[in-house]
Amino acid sequence: MLKILIPTIMLFPTIWLTPQKWLWTTTTSHSLIIATFSLTWFNLNTGTGWYTSNEYLAIDPLSTPFLILTCWLLPLMILASQNHMSSEPIKRQQVYLSLMVSLQMLLIMAFGATELIMFYIMFEATLIPTLMIITRWGNQTERLNAGIYFLFYTLMASLPLLVALLSLQVTTGTLSMLILCYSDPMPFFTWSDKIGWMGGLMAFMVKIPLYGVHLWMPKAHVGGPNAGSMVLAAILLKLGGYGMMRITILLDPLTKEMAYPFIILALWGVIMTGSICLRQTDLKSLIAYSSVSHMGLVAAGILIQTPWGFTGAIILMIAHGLVSSALFCLANTTYERTHSRTMVLARGLQMIFPLTATWWFITNLANLALPPLPNLMGEIMIITTMFNWSPYTLILTGLGTLITASYSLYMFLMTQRGPTPSHIMGLTPFHTREHLLITMHLMPVLLLITKPEIMWGWHF
Amino acid sequence: MTIGNYDNLSCFVPTVKPDVWQSVIWRRHWGRHQAFFLFSELDSHLRAFREKAAAAMPGSDWTPFHLTPGLPPERADIVIVGGGVMGWSVAYWLKRKEQVRNAVRVVVVEKDPTYSQASTVLSAGGIRQQFSLPENIQLSLASADFLKNINEHLNVVNEDPVDLQFNHSGYLFTASENAAHIMEANHKTQMCVGAKVILLSPAQIKERFPWMNTDGVVLASYGLENEGWFDPWTLLNALRRKAISMGVHQCFGEVTGFKSSSHKVETGDGDLLRLKRITHVNVQMPNSLEKQPVECAIVVNTAGANSGRVAEMIGIGHGPKDSMPGIPVPVEPRKRYIYVVHCPDGPGLDSPFLIDYSGVYFRREGLGGNYITGMSPEESEEPDISTLDVDHDFFHNNVWPRLAHRVPAFESLKVSSAWAGYYDYNTFDQNGILGAHPLVNNMYFATGFSGHGLQQSPAVGRAVAELILDGRYTTLDLSALDLKRILYQEPMLERNIV
Repeated sequence: MLKILIPTIMLFPTIWLTPQKWLWTTTTSHSLIIATFSLTWFNLNTGTGWYTSNEYLAIDPLSTPFLILTCWLLPLMILASQNHMSSEPIKRQQVYLSLMVSLQMLLIMAFGATELIMFYIMFEATLIPTLMIITRWGNQTERLNAGIYFLFYTLMASLPLLVALLSLQVTTGTLSMLILCYSDPMPFFTWSDKIGWMGGLMAFMVKIPLYGVHLWMPKAHVGGPNAGSMVLAAILLKLGGYGMMRITILLDPLTKEMAYPFIILALWGVIMTGSICLRQTDLKSLIAYSSVSHMGLVAAGILIQTPWGFTGAIILMIAHGLVSSALFCLANTTYERTHSRTMVLARGLQMIFPLTATWWFITNLANLALPPLPNLMGEIMIITTMFNWSPYTLILTGLGTLITASYSLYMFLMTQRGPTPSHIMGLTPFHTREHLLITMHLMPVLLLITKPEIMWGWHF
Repeated sequence: MTIGNYDNLSCFVPTVKPDVWQSVIWRRHWGRHQAFFLFSELDSHLRAFREKAAAAMPGSDWTPFHLTPGLPPERADIVIVGGGVMGWSVAYWLKRKEQVRNAVRVVVVEKDPTYSQASTVLSAGGIRQQFSLPENIQLSLASADFLKNINEHLNVVNEDPVDLQFNHSGYLFTASENAAHIMEANHKTQMCVGAKVILLSPAQIKERFPWMNTDGVVLASYGLENEGWFDPWTLLNALRRKAISMGVHQCFGEVTGFKSSSHKVETGDGDLLRLKRITHVNVQMPNSLEKQPVECAIVVNTAGANSGRVAEMIGIGHGPKDSMPGIPVPVEPRKRYIYVVHCPDGPGLDSPFLIDYSGVYFRREGLGGNYITGMSPEESEEPDISTLDVDHDFFHNNVWPRLAHRVPAFESLKVSSAWAGYYDYNTFDQNGILGAHPLVNNMYFATGFSGHGLQQSPAVGRAVAELILDGRYTTLDLSALDLKRILYQEPMLERNIV
């Protein structure tokens, strides 16, 4: 674990001591090397269930996929920010990169934490660099509003989490995940226990985001810069899912009854946010709502507490992280050229950018869960386990799949097909960097078709 | 304004204070200013507290950062330069054609909130279909239809209905002997396109309009429907009100420049071209040095008489002569005078908008025996455009003799007032310029109408909105009026009678 964490921390001197000419090249290659080394984490071969552990940090089959996704995403974020940061003074570029690296460091420590309090501290700490990235480098005048929504939604919900964790610490004596998995289920019968259950899970539900508390997400995406949207969609949402998976170990068997309204809310959210997508005119807002839709399915899968549910949730989270981040990068390429995120002003792009149309096509197909991509695998697993829990959920999930397919196709047809307006004709061609960025997003998704077992969590 | 008491050590008290602190009494105490809460001032303390609480609630626009009022948004999708009737028409149609509410963010930037020099409000306000180009006739017909049903289009809930004071009195063009065949050919075109115009012989003219002297007139054409005049200020305000109610942002400021990105492309013939794309519009606030760059995707140039200058800001016209970048947009301001005359024994209530072959025109204004009249000067006698001062000698020497010859009753009249306004004169072929420039892909033009812009504005707005949102013309095909004819040097001239 330290052999990845220490190099990440050493990215700070890299940023501040590299000559200006080589700043972006060095940080990109440094983080790419870290990402390559993080692949060794797939080699999980001890018998204890926890690997590469020291007292505070360890990985297990649940956290490995998220950790590797985090490490993989940092070079992509740096690659994506290179263009729009090139006009800023060098100190500000270095601050921006430092914020991203600090976010990376905190995320690695969050996913690798063995103790729930440490996880909580890292979970909260990731808010600060993200807030700075969104409010300082965002695109709109509303980015201040977006930052406030982002910060306070999560903070409001996570204060009860702190209280719940501390009281659990008192009850169980320890909050180390290494030990908790062997503990007996605790007697939770009273009303205050139920409120404690809510407190424990509310923060993660806000982070996922669950449908009723999702309002911060479209604002944060629209108001943030490209790299901010990428890390938000790819990793930070998964923090919520991962935290939910970790803490529900403690909260059994109360989850069986208490989760009911939240599962229904999540499934309803799939349909609602999918329908909102069909009416969106802002491209980034559409992708943000599509994220909420997918993560609603993930939330339902986690709350259902079955092996297939967990596995489906992890697969869908990883696949969605890569695909959603790719969609944001594609939307950003359009934005950098036309200076508008309105879909109606950037149509018929296939005629001018044919290769990019291919990337749009593949990414949108992945978004609508086309077989044999892992998105489908995750969705099918979650839908199956929901069906097992209650056959009526099939109406909701089936309708959700249909709406997902329609808005993904709508996004593709609106941006790529149709007559090319005359003001689009003179756009600058795509850079190799941008093609590389999208390829590096899509290649893992395509490769994961071949060996999805590495993402299956504990049931590998 | 000073606040508070003085003590023996009194000097000045800080004079500029925000309102919320009015209730706080400042005293000098050993060289320091201290704030005391006095119960005698309880009312103002409570008022200040209430104001602060209201400002903190959501829904108030108080922010800790002082924002200049009236600043345009930092980014918009479409920026319309010029808030005359053309600009607001484009804004209205853009909002009307969007499929989803607030799909496009439109900002209209206007230099002068009083519209003191805008061509729209200084116009005579006539509308006619008697053109020779079919596109012009179609534009006027479609606009007349819009204006007749204006309350269906521009009605805002809970506001007064729009009353354009559209007088349907028709236009009467007269032709001399050597131009009668042109008038007949134009009449055929007009009938083909659908305008209701009739040709009159001198005898028929005398029957309808006995006050007219038909000396020298061989033929006249008279519009029966959809022709007349209306109030341009009402139309402008109706379009503006409706567009703002649909979500268009209005900003008062002057466009001083553009930021653009450019790159070289090679055409199929191997020529190297420099394509520009506007990324920001620099808007300067009125009476201030403050500038706001508005990031945008599309700019619509409806700056009227100043359109040529705005196009120069992006570099159209700067380049080697006879190359595409070197051809400027040929729109420049030309001053035209309008004189208001009072003649109690004049032509009366049924007089049309008469345009004589000598160049003079007049129309009735109101019901009190007032008429407005004017004339287009010769090419060589164009008045000076630096101010809008009126030249009364022009009336005495040029307008009155010709007017009195055509309408004998006007031999005795009194000039009650006069004004001058600018035509957005297209020096190339005096017809409108629409469409995008090939070298600046995202600047659309709707300018250069040379005196018949107001009457075509509703239909032109619709055409430009179709170009932007649909990519092509869907209702009226106006490709004949495209900007490219300037670059190919193919004029679309009106066959005028004079």
